[in-house]
Amino acid sequence: MLSQLDKYLGKLHRDALVKPQRAALLVKDDKLLAQGPADLSSLGAAILERINVLALAIAEPLLPLTDLLIRRAAPDCRTLVPSDTETRTFLHDIPLVRKTELTTGASALLADLLGSRKGIIVEGVGIVTTGAMTPEMAYINWSSVWHAVFVKYLSDLLTTGIRSPDDELMVAALREQYRRPITLADCCVRATPPVERSEIYAQIERIGRCTVDLQLVDSAFGNISWRDGGMIYISQTGASLDELAGCIDPVPCDNSSTVGLTASSELLAHRRIYEATGARAILHGHPKFAVVLSMLCAETGCENIDCWKDCPRIRFLATTPIVPGEIGAGGLADKVAPVIGAAGTALVYGHGVFTLGREHFGEALERLVAVENWCRQEYFRRLVVRMT
Amino acid sequence: MFGWHGRLLQVDLSAGRARTESLPEEWLHHYLGGRGLAVRLFRDFFQIEPYSPEMPLLFATGPLGATAAPTAERMAVVSRSPLTRTLYDCSVGGRFAQQLKCAGFDVVQIDGRAAVPMVLAITPSGAELLPADSLWGSTVSTTIAALNGRGSVVAIGPAGEHLVPFATIVTDDGNAADRGGLGAVMGSKRLKAVVVSGAKLPEIADPARFERAHNDILRLFRAAPVLFGELGLGAYGTPTLVDLLAQRRMTPTENFCKTFFAAAANYSGPALRAACTPHKVGCCGCPVQCQKVTADGAYLPGYEALSHFGALNNIGDLTAIITAIRTCHELGLDPVSAAATLATWGEVRGAFPTAAELVPLLHDLVWRRGAGEQLCAGSRQLALAAGKPQVSMSVKGLELPAYDPRGAYGMALAYCTNNHGGCHLGAYPLAHEILRKPAPTDRFSFAGKARMIKIAEDINAAIDSLVACKFAFLGAGIEEYAELLAAVTGVDFTPERLKEIGERIYLTERWYNDVNGFSVIDDCLPERFFREAGSSGDGIEVPPLDRARFDEELQKYYRMRGLDAHGRFVDRNFLVSLPC
Ligand code: SF4
Ligand SMILES: [Zn+2]
Ligand SMILES: [Zn+2]
Repeated sequence: MLSQLDKYLGKLHRDALVKPQRAALLVKDDKLLAQGPADLSSLGAAILERINVLALAIAEPLLPLTDLLIRRAAPDCRTLVPSDTETRTFLHDIPLVRKTELTTGASALLADLLGSRKGIIVEGVGIVTTGAMTPEMAYINWSSVWHAVFVKYLSDLLTTGIRSPDDELMVAALREQYRRPITLADCCVRATPPVERSEIYAQIERIGRCTVDLQLVDSAFGNISWRDGGMIYISQTGASLDELAGCIDPVPCDNSSTVGLTASSELLAHRRIYEATGARAILHGHPKFAVVLSMLCAETGCENIDCWKDCPRIRFLATTPIVPGEIGAGGLADKVAPVIGAAGTALVYGHGVFTLGREHFGEALERLVAVENWCRQEYFRRLVVRMT
Repeated sequence: MFGWHGRLLQVDLSAGRARTESLPEEWLHHYLGGRGLAVRLFRDFFQIEPYSPEMPLLFATGPLGATAAPTAERMAVVSRSPLTRTLYDCSVGGRFAQQLKCAGFDVVQIDGRAAVPMVLAITPSGAELLPADSLWGSTVSTTIAALNGRGSVVAIGPAGEHLVPFATIVTDDGNAADRGGLGAVMGSKRLKAVVVSGAKLPEIADPARFERAHNDILRLFRAAPVLFGELGLGAYGTPTLVDLLAQRRMTPTENFCKTFFAAAANYSGPALRAACTPHKVGCCGCPVQCQKVTADGAYLPGYEALSHFGALNNIGDLTAIITAIRTCHELGLDPVSAAATLATWGEVRGAFPTAAELVPLLHDLVWRRGAGEQLCAGSRQLALAAGKPQVSMSVKGLELPAYDPRGAYGMALAYCTNNHGGCHLGAYPLAHEILRKPAPTDRFSFAGKARMIKIAEDINAAIDSLVACKFAFLGAGIEEYAELLAAVTGVDFTPERLKEIGERIYLTERWYNDVNGFSVIDDCLPERFFREAGSSGDGIEVPPLDRARFDEELQKYYRMRGLDAHGRFVDRNFLVSLPC
């Protein structure tokens, strides 16, 4: 269990998500084990004492977006409602706790909220999440809340505008951090189509790691597949893209076996895309700027409420089509497959990007990078327009 | 009151009387319904012999029943098991549960023993006993057909009448209280069937909140490949597990001597689809619809029955397997225990039954003829009588289902900590160890498993009291169901409160076991799993279980439960410490 704590604490730091020395991970096994600074560990321990979960993560994000969001929220606002579909599906809403509420009984209040939600935002502390069964779940929930926070803050800047000097400072910091486009490592660009089964597995593992290293996905969200004749090799549901060894399911296209029961929830989308395009590789991730832009619609007078699943139109970001659709059996597969062929890329409203490799993985990765790079530039362009 | 009716129907078969009692609201808030409420009601009965007339048989619905909550048209059927001698609860879905709730009762408690065979008919105005002489001896489907038109039916077959300790109680829509031998308890009461009809829907406290929670749950179902995916339970039913568990090398084969069976593909989900062109059905109102029927209305078997008549007995003949399982259904016999007992017998005699022997052996078992005399008492008694107790692959006398514990260490632990014996459903570690829900765990490691099993047992005890289906939790979570429950009842239920209730239920069952003499020696797996390796291959090593690590984790588990090293209560006043 200690090695698990080290591993996922390491991931939080590696993903550059948290401030140095401001992350703690705890697990309640036979005894309570904690890693991280003393103040966070003891707050975590006090919370964990009160709720029946196995693990807890408590960390201050590197960029203080949680505090900024709380300051932007109306004083009576109790929850953040993420508008991106993946977090909304799994988190519903995220409770906010203000500094003023953190009096003596803080741990009781936080435990109470964490009893009903997988993650909460606490002013001055950061993000606190639980892991019902494993430390990994606490880590995944942490990055999932962070994803929601990031997307929400960036969307709000474009829609409701800059509200304070702190926002202005943050915009400058974000521009600095995301100024340089993502560039692909050589190894990825020069990928050649795998032939042997072992090469297929090796390439899927390597490309998976690259997408995480390039911060195109938060490691647990996204999926990847390769089609070889009558087989689709696809990452498993809940697999971390940077650790795919042993987590790839070979699924026969004709459904002659059900071993793919544990495959990614987007198996159907991958299958439909292969049928529609004849491609060899598919990559799916949730790059943040693409997700933000996919939700911003210029339409006026539209009466749709649930745009994320019901939008009747196909919109575009450059050449990439944006379609609505719900995860899994919710119709995303039917919407993406018909439109992805033309540019080799497609965006799902508030969710993420699918890209194709017609011959090899490198292409799919290049396309994913290109979409996110374009969206970053476009985001800051729109922000400048909005600010002036 | 919202959600519950607050009414219990008590039927005394000896006296031929029925009366309605009101249930204390406190009990409902602290034990919910289903399994939990039954556990509370059993406080006065848990030491009584299973076949004693004083032993009650309970049908208990829950607060979510008949409310359109996904997967919640269910009830718990509960009594003391003649097979394990523990309290035993089966979660049973379908029309009967719904009709019972709509008849205006939360629980039916059946006591006593009728002088002659009877059918119990329940309507909103009470109960009526109908003579059933002509039905005694009939198969399940004949009995159900004869009662057609009177409401929804549960019935026993000849196995229940003959007190086979793994007899079932079968519903008219293909479900059953299938494990633990509750059909024999019903048979001992000379009760052939129960019919019920009703039309009273419970009221919901906050319909808008209910609607929101309901939508949240359906969104999670759609996002869960194991439920709604093209290879999921909705598409193939539980036989979708055949290929997966074969690939994972954890198919119990030849009475658990091996863990891989090459011919399993003969009865896989796709094989059944090709051979039987089934369509989807399921418990009423459930969006998943995980059951499958053929065009002529015959129900197709689930994973465990298929695997145990198949791999466990080294039989690869699809038709023979399906026929054997149908025979069990008609006789009112648990196919899992029946097949496992046959496999034990096969190992004892040095030859597993052939495909052609299956049906005659099942009849012999029920009528105690020939080999049936040995088979009829279940694998533990059979192995004991043969002088080879370790050949019974059971825990607390309950034959293990089709998940080899050498391939999933949480499963190994869960078989032992389950209060009613070697059953995977108490903690359902299959979810995280194999199906990767809510998150994957390392199936070949004991690390953290004691805590995971404890948390899951508590949650599942609450789920069994709502009463919702375990499968729902491969998509949604306790958070969403707590919200649903709060919306239905108007009572402030939270996930943590549900876990507390679950813990109270689990511990009460454990307390009953403790008083009845159960301890650490009953929480143990057959020797085979610690001595013999499984069938490694395909890059997967299946070593024997590490006894020291197993024991260490079991001791951790006891500490987390507040038990001593023998798995017994330190606090001998446990019941007094409960709120009600
Ligand atoms: S998932 Fe299957 S068993 Fe569960 S309630 Fe639905 S139909 Fe019934
Ligand atoms: Zn996605
Ligand atoms: Zn069970």
